[in-house]
Amino acid sequence: MSSRKQLMKHYQLVGQLQPALHAPQHAPYPDTIDHALYRAYTRSAHDIGGEPDVPITWEEKEEEQWELNTFATCECLAWRGIWNAEERRRRQNVDLGQTQYLGLPYYGRWLMTAALIMVDKQYVTLTELVNKIDEVKKRYE
Amino acid sequence: MAKKHTEDEHGHRPPAPMVDEISDFEVLEMAVRELAIEKGLFSADDHRRWTEYVHTLGPLPAARLVAKAWVNPAYKKMAVTDGVKASLEVGVDWINDMPTHFGTPSDYCNLRVLEDTPKLKHVVVCTLCSCYPRPILGQSPEWYRTPNYRRRLVRWPRQVLAEFGLQLPPDVEIRVADSNQKTRYIVLPVRPAGTEGWTEEQLAEIVTRDCLIGVAVPKPGVKANAKRPVHPAVHPVHHDH
Repeated sequence: MSSRKQLMKHYQLVGQLQPALHAPQHAPYPDTIDHALYRAYTRSAHDIGGEPDVPITWEEKEEEQWELNTFATCECLAWRGIWNAEERRRRQNVDLGQTQYLGLPYYGRWLMTAALIMVDKQYVTLTELVNKIDEVKKRYE
Repeated sequence: MAKKHTEDEHGHRPPAPMVDEISDFEVLEMAVRELAIEKGLFSADDHRRWTEYVHTLGPLPAARLVAKAWVNPAYKKMAVTDGVKASLEVGVDWINDMPTHFGTPSDYCNLRVLEDTPKLKHVVVCTLCSCYPRPILGQSPEWYRTPNYRRRLVRWPRQVLAEFGLQLPPDVEIRVADSNQKTRYIVLPVRPAGTEGWTEEQLAEIVTRDCLIGVAVPKPGVKANAKRPVHPAVHPVHHDH
């Protein structure tokens, strides 16, 4: 169990972990990764309980139609055995990485993950997905 | 685009674009759904049935569970020991209600009912994602899904509850329940004074969604969640959860 002070240091380190393209940070020598850095790099982006944050205004939000559709699509994919709960959780919460995890809307993450599972499990090819996206866009031009 | 209804940095609402623009999420959503149906991963009927099922969900069954527990000690005992069984009496079958007939595809069927006392207050969060007992409580509110709520509630519950308008005396212990994939929670609050002789229906009306999450407590005369700003949808779903 870490003390609050240790945790704060950990969170601060985590917050600094974005790769800096101008700095010589690529593929560091193994002996440059100390315990604190190792812990920070192996932290999962969704494990945020207890992290410091400031009070915000609590708001309600109307649901977008695409959000409800996305929920239904993800549940139908599970209903018909395309993925299970563990896969969904890993993909929606862990595999995205911190930038997308915190940067995308809630159902945006679900949606990306649904697209990826269909490609990764070879139900559709990436070309089919890209073509379908183009086709849908053209309907609204 | 998505920013159509949000205020710009000067606090003005920009004029809506002339053409009804479509967001990248809307495009991707249609593409994914249509491809899944074309490839036979699920059918258009499956999708329609699931959407219709979602439209039937809301916090009312959970509110009725609480009201029933308040007036019936035997039922209350059942509710706190077997939430899934107790759900049956308020019309929620955690296995057979869903179009799947095998429970939720997200694979959870374990409802725990957390009983408050005058000296103990429960509140629910999901720190790792936003697990929520949808079959008995409907879709989760947006604030419940925010990293902020998930970050802070476990460490500063008293402060967060105060922000929701619930100021608890220091001698009331707060217990935060962290939901997980298999187990979901609702709060069974203390029955408030001034409700003596009320019917179950009357009681259920004051058990709001927020009371069931634990960020509010029931009060006679209060039948809705606290008023908060609402972020409007660009293309909203036309139903209430």
